[in-house]
Parts: sequence; C-alpha cells; structure tokens
Amino acid sequence: MHPVLAYIDAGSGSLIIQAVIATIVAIPFFFRSQIGRAVRFVRGRSAGESSTSTADDNSRAS
Amino acid sequence: MTTAGPADPAAPPEPIAAPPGSSSRPHAAGSYRDPAPVRDPASYRDPASYRDPSGFVFWRDGQPYRQIARRFAASWDAFESSPLSRTLMERGWLVRHEAAPVELAQGTTAHRVIRPERIDFLSYPYEWTFGQLRDAALLTLDIQGLALEHGFTLRDASAYNIQFRDGRPIHIDTLSFEPTEPGRPWIAYRQFCEHFLAPLTLMAKRDVRLAALLRDNLDGVPLDLASRLLPASSRLNLGLATHVHLHARAQRRYADRPVEAQQRVRSARPVNQAALLDSLRRTIAGLRWAPAGTEWADYDDRTSYSADATADKEALVARFIAATEGRRVWDLGANTGHYSRIAADAGRQVIAFDIDPAAAERLYRTVRADGRTDILPLVMDLANPSPALGWAGAERRSLAERADADSLLALALVHHLAIGRNVPLGEIGRWFARLGRQLVIEFVPKEDEMAQRLLATREDVFDDYSIEGFRAAFGESWTIIDEAPIRGTQRVLFSLRRRDA
Repeated sequence: MHPVLAYIDAGSGSLIIQAVIATIVAIPFFFRSQIGRAVRFVRGRSAGESSTSTADDNSRAS
Repeated sequence: MTTAGPADPAAPPEPIAAPPGSSSRPHAAGSYRDPAPVRDPASYRDPASYRDPSGFVFWRDGQPYRQIARRFAASWDAFESSPLSRTLMERGWLVRHEAAPVELAQGTTAHRVIRPERIDFLSYPYEWTFGQLRDAALLTLDIQGLALEHGFTLRDASAYNIQFRDGRPIHIDTLSFEPTEPGRPWIAYRQFCEHFLAPLTLMAKRDVRLAALLRDNLDGVPLDLASRLLPASSRLNLGLATHVHLHARAQRRYADRPVEAQQRVRSARPVNQAALLDSLRRTIAGLRWAPAGTEWADYDDRTSYSADATADKEALVARFIAATEGRRVWDLGANTGHYSRIAADAGRQVIAFDIDPAAAERLYRTVRADGRTDILPLVMDLANPSPALGWAGAERRSLAERADADSLLALALVHHLAIGRNVPLGEIGRWFARLGRQLVIEFVPKEDEMAQRLLATREDVFDDYSIEGFRAAFGESWTIIDEAPIRGTQRVLFSLRRRDA
C-alpha cells in the first residue's frame, strides 16, 4: 500500500461525491464501450484482416 | 508576525528560523519581513514553490533546479524508473530533466536534485485564451489517463503546472506523480474542477470575460460560485450537472465534516477512475466557444488601409524588425497576429498580446492549425497588465517582472492607450522602456480615421497628442533609429532604441 502524500485539500465533499459521480457517469461509459466493442466487432468481420487497431478516441491533434 | 523580543524594541530583528546549514543561503521565500524578494542573483528559491513539502524549485545562475525531499524518495524513485516518466517526456507532455549533483541542494533533507528544461516565458491561466485553457485541461486529463495505466496518479491538477512551450501546452511539475492503486479516489479531482472545468464552463456557457475570475482566485474558481453563475440549462448536461453542480452541493454539505486524509482516501468506496476521466474529457471537449461578438473579432486593422498602404506597412515592419537584435519579440496589441507572423517569419519568437479574447483565440487557433511554434498569443489589457499576485505578492509575477523582450512591436496601439484610455504619451514611452530595449511603433495621428472614431464619443482633451508631442514624449526614454511614413496614410512608423541600451 503506497502512502498518500496529499498536500492539497482534496475536500471531504469532493472525495465522497467523487465515488457517487463516478458511478453515475459509469453507466453511459459502460454502454458506450459496449457499443464501441460491437461496432469494432461488426467492422472487423466485414473488413476482414485489412483493418488493424484503430486509434483510440483519446488521440488529439497535437 | 514578528520574532523581535517584546522587552527591547530596539533589539535587532532576529532572522526567521533558517534551516540548518543554510546560513550562506540567500533570502528564501520563507521570510515574512521582506515581501520583496532580495534575490541573490546566483541562487534563490522560487517564490511560487512553497506549497508541496515533497520538493521545491530553486534557481541557480539562471537555471531552474528541482530539489526532491527525502520524504518523497520512494515515490520519486518509482516514477523516475518507470516507463511512464519516459513516455511522458517522449510525447512532449512533461518537461525533460536531467540529474544534477545532489550537493547543489539547499538544506539537508534532499533526496535528489534535478535540472528541468527551462521554459522561456511563464504565462498564467488568467492570461490564456479559452482554447489554451481547454488544451491545458485536456493535456492534464491525458496525463492522468496515461499515469493510471502505469499505476500512477497526479497528486495535483493545478493549471499553473501547465506552461506553453513552442506554442503547445506542457506539464512542468515533475514531482506531481505518485504510485496509486486501482479504485482510489483522485485527490486532485476537486482541484481539476476548480482550475479548469469551472472557468471553462463559465467562459463557454456564460461569458468569456469570466476568465478574469482566475486572476482573483489563484486556487481556482470556487464551485459554488460557478454553480450560481451558470445558466440553469447547464444542469441538463450530465457532466456539468455532476462535476459542477452536484459537486458544489457536496462540498457545501460536507464542508464541516473533517475526515483524516489518509483514512478517507483508503476507506472510500472504489472509484471507477476510467469512467470519471472519460466523463471529464467528454464534458470539456464538449465545451465550445466561437470567437465572435467581442471587441475586435470582426475588426481587422488592415480594413482601415488601402491594399497599397497595407503592403507598404508590411514591408516597413519587416524591414524595421530585421534591423533589430535578439530573437524575443513582444507584439503589443497584436489583434489577430498579422504582424506577429511577419516578425515570426523573420526568425523571431513572438508573444502576441491583445486585450480581446476573441482576437487572441483566433490567433491561437490558426497558430495551432498551421503547426507554428514561434507565436504565443496571450490575453492582456496593456492599460491594466497582470499584477504580481499570490503569497507575499511574489508567487505570480507581474508582466513587467517577466519582461525579457529584445524588441517590442506596437502597431496601431498608441492611440488606443493615449486617447482611448487617457494615458499620457510620456507614460506610455516610460512603461514600454521597462518592457524592452528596442521598439517598432506606429504613430497614429488624430486626423486618422481610427483615431477619429475614438474621438467621436469623447471630448478632445488630448492637446499634446501630435507627432511633435510623440517625439518629445518618447524622446525621454528612446532615441530614433529610423522612421518612415506609411504610404497613403498619415501614420508614421518608428524604430526606436532605449537610451540606456
């Protein structure tokens, strides 16, 4: 277990609500990732081996 | 706060407790008695670096160093030897550093000393455009995402940890990383929301000028304030409803319920960090602001000229810039950066200041789209430039304290300051002389159409505003190297050199 060297005030409310918010936003997150998997699965079957891994949606122009 | 003995008011003031072995150390940020830092030019501790006991920045012979405290040794060694550290630097997300001799350390509690790459000019979030703050926020999330993949987390998410180098955001705090375990809450979640999400949302959903809140709130925009200022419709957006509005309510509700930090972090329910990060990213990526409708968005300085006059001015500016020494140019009142580009094309590194957030934003977008690394747009009211802010008034430096320009460019600006803001010409000349040693400046006489527009709504109380008055006023601080009238106009372009330079 690593120690937590927190020097900023994380805020009691922020820490408590963070778990709640993460749970709420996990619902659309879960469905989006399932849809994404399904799309990749269908595309993968139709495109055969020509399509390789597509860049994740994190890739920003930089 | 004073340490002087109460019995003898004439007793010489004792020094504030200095760490052992620091007797030869110059004035450090810890002194209460002398808020104006008396800096040993050779070595001093950075006055902005006092919050985190894990380490601090000090300067030595103009080079920044970062000292890592022993208490942070385990986390530092883990990060330093991890592939995360290499990947962050390879991607240009984190400043590079090299090991420095630990003998350089100040005090006796050092674990390591590193020498990070130096950033030429430090800008602050309250000087950034909407797009710059948004890119800085997205970079912070990118870094946190990558860190989590490697079993690390960001211990802080301060907007002041991001700087712009070669036109791109980069993280400058190498000590921000520590090992974590899956499911742990993000300590910096609140800070991220207050430094990035709240101001960006206010700018996008209410008014871009609310960026000014960052200047008054160095620890970020309080979420309860953001929640009150935002339009009701923002509650329909899941990200804003949760990260801003619900978050603000929770802060209010639990404000007086202290829980020991270590305990609350460990006992909290596991947090789905991937979902949280994804939601923050989508919320911020979904914030849009179109640069239009403010002061100059549709104003292009060239419209007040004929094509002939524009070509003449471009050629003159290029000629005068080419004759200046040094690479660093500050374009004051840059508008959408037409002449910043001319200076940059001449091999100069340009900081383009403008009062209008829309003009600066447009320039930032074109600079990024063109892949330019030599122009940094910033939002700045030159009649009310960034002051010194923060602890002891030394934490965030004023614009003048950061001035390091070789040359200044002040085109179609002087009438705005002199007539628009009533600043006497001599004052303008003196202040410019504090910012740089060479000056390419355009004088716009009263008869000019743009000056007439300013005079249309006010009494003409500007008796000294004339080309003769300009020469006399600026002559106090500057000598004329070159001058040329701009063809087809009554304007004159001057190349000046500071008298002591």
